[in-house]
Amino acid sequence: MPKVKKKRLSFVIDMTPLVDITFLLLTFFMFTAKFKTEAESQQKFFIQRPKVTADTSKIPERNLAIVKIAIRDTVDGVIVNDTTYNYELVNESDRQQVWASLEGLPDKVKAKPMLENISLDLLSTVIRNTRITNPKTVFAIDADKRIRYKWVWDAMEVMRKNRATIFNYVTEKKSGL
Amino acid sequence: MSGASGGLSAPERIKRGKHSKRKKRKRIGFALDMTPLVDITFLLLTFFMFTTTMAAPQVMEMSMPPEGDVKIEVRENELMTLRLRDDGKLFFNMANDEPKPVEIKDLRKIAETENLRPEIQNKLITVFKVSEDAKYGDMVKVLDELNLAEIKISDVLSQKKDEKGEPVKRKRKFTLAPLDTSDLRLIKGL
Repeated sequence: MPKVKKKRLSFVIDMTPLVDITFLLLTFFMFTAKFKTEAESQQKFFIQRPKVTADTSKIPERNLAIVKIAIRDTVDGVIVNDTTYNYELVNESDRQQVWASLEGLPDKVKAKPMLENISLDLLSTVIRNTRITNPKTVFAIDADKRIRYKWVWDAMEVMRKNRATIFNYVTEKKSGL
Repeated sequence: MSGASGGLSAPERIKRGKHSKRKKRKRIGFALDMTPLVDITFLLLTFFMFTTTMAAPQVMEMSMPPEGDVKIEVRENELMTLRLRDDGKLFFNMANDEPKPVEIKDLRKIAETENLRPEIQNKLITVFKVSEDAKYGDMVKVLDELNLAEIKISDVLSQKKDEKGEPVKRKRKFTLAPLDTSDLRLIKGL
């Protein structure tokens, strides 16, 4: 008598290699992941950084103050379409102290992790207060490559007046050679 | 997969009495249902893959003299002037020569040869004058070329010995300045 073929109802896939690879990738991405800061995730503009050849110096992760000079379409819903100064401090405790030390600033602005669209005078005050709060702070200028050089020069002059004479230009690595 | 006949769900156990006369089969292997594990792992994997930023921005360090202009006398022949006009054109001249237009990509070669001239080696001061209306991106490009030239300059210098017999260290002298009207007159029509 011929055997009655059983109908296969289900089958089993060996998932072990899949899991191996997935875990490998997972651990890799977990260790390399760097999370955006609060200010970065709330940032509503994009800076086209100038591209330069590869350098070994990376942007520091702590004790960093960034002056962002960017072209913005809007600030709080108001159309500006112009270059603006924005200021960000990486150390959260420093940020709270410096923001609190600024007089005449509305609470709404103080609650934000980044000072947006500030004047040169305010920038000067903020830089001075930052240096008082944490003298180890490193300053960086993160400017859009399309902006007029005057904006960068003015920011540099402000820094110089506040004795922040060593600073960094934030750049991006040129792709390819 | 030995022993798994119940498909993806766990195999059902056959209940046996305490004194069952059936012979116990020795288990050789077992199947582990990995589906939920894979689910979670993939979820985490995609999360980390999308949130991670691979290329951290790099920085270019600059230092400026503190305020308080102290006039320093400089020999004219030890001066290299670069001027960047608002249309992105770069002009180069040594000492009091007439400025010549140069391409930004050729600047590296020029900076190398000028800096390595025997009579002004390690003494040359680079002055970079940038127009207020020039693009910041162009200015950084010029700085990048100058930085690239440093590789060769410091390499050549380190092969030479000073009076003490130690390799010569590169002392870079660089300054940024605004482009004023007299500069503009010099490069007008070029």
